[in-house]
Amino acid sequence: MDTKAILDHQFTVAAYAITWVIQLGYLAWLGLRWRAQKSKAARSARNPR
Amino acid sequence: MKKFAIGLYVAITAVLMAWGFYQAIYVAPDEQTMHEVQRIFYYHVPSAMIAFLFFAISLAGSICFLALRRSHPERAQASDAWALAGAEVGVVFCTVVLITGPLWGHRVWWGGGDWGHGTWWTWDPRLTTTLVLWLIYVSYLLLRRFAAGPQVQALAAVLNIFGALDVPIVYMSNRWWRGAHPGPVFGGGPDSGIHDPAMMHAFCWNIAAWLAWGLLLLALRYHIERQQQSFAAQQAQEAIEA
Repeated sequence: MDTKAILDHQFTVAAYAITWVIQLGYLAWLGLRWRAQKSKAARSARNPR
Repeated sequence: MKKFAIGLYVAITAVLMAWGFYQAIYVAPDEQTMHEVQRIFYYHVPSAMIAFLFFAISLAGSICFLALRRSHPERAQASDAWALAGAEVGVVFCTVVLITGPLWGHRVWWGGGDWGHGTWWTWDPRLTTTLVLWLIYVSYLLLRRFAAGPQVQALAAVLNIFGALDVPIVYMSNRWWRGAHPGPVFGGGPDSGIHDPAMMHAFCWNIAAWLAWGLLLLALRYHIERQQQSFAAQQAQEAIEA
């Protein structure tokens, strides 16, 4: 493989990996928010003002 | 039944994502001039298309919110949740576009015989208008996150409507002005389009996969926002009663 092909490969891998990191990171953040929301609602139901 | 339907949808999405990846990496042929790095196209372009779709959903949500907020407050809240969910998921896809684009561009723009010395960014009309679109929707999300008061939803809806005006400008930018960005994939005249059927298949599978994934994120974000609204309303009611 020449240098150009190696760099092309590395850039392609980087683009795919970054896409997945962003998308899965966002999904994880949504999951955490959902869990926090559920526990907040449960706490509120247990201890109404 | 609902859990089964959600599980089935998640499973279909996972299969589509794996199939789209397989098509893009192993089935689609190398493009003649750009070779392997052109495969970034299969993630970059569908992400842009889906970002546009979600900004359109967000726009529709904001218009409905403004139209219904006095006559149907509950429906207006649901519309506002769609507006927020559409904007947030749209920003995620737009971020992918703004990162994968320069990675691709760095390898092919002005490479000539001097590969490896490309440019990360240029103030090309398509790139500039996309960055402006991203900044507008990030400012919409920051407004939603940090501003307080009864008018925040209405102000954000107005910002969303003006922000969405940039979407058709982004779409038309590489038709109206010449720049470094490649021409349109669809509807750009006789030279546009993908002529290799294997490339077209890979592209369509990735559109389907990312659309399924995006709708999953959108539904989850909408659900969280509705929960948040319901919790806030409950808190307000309890405060009044106390």
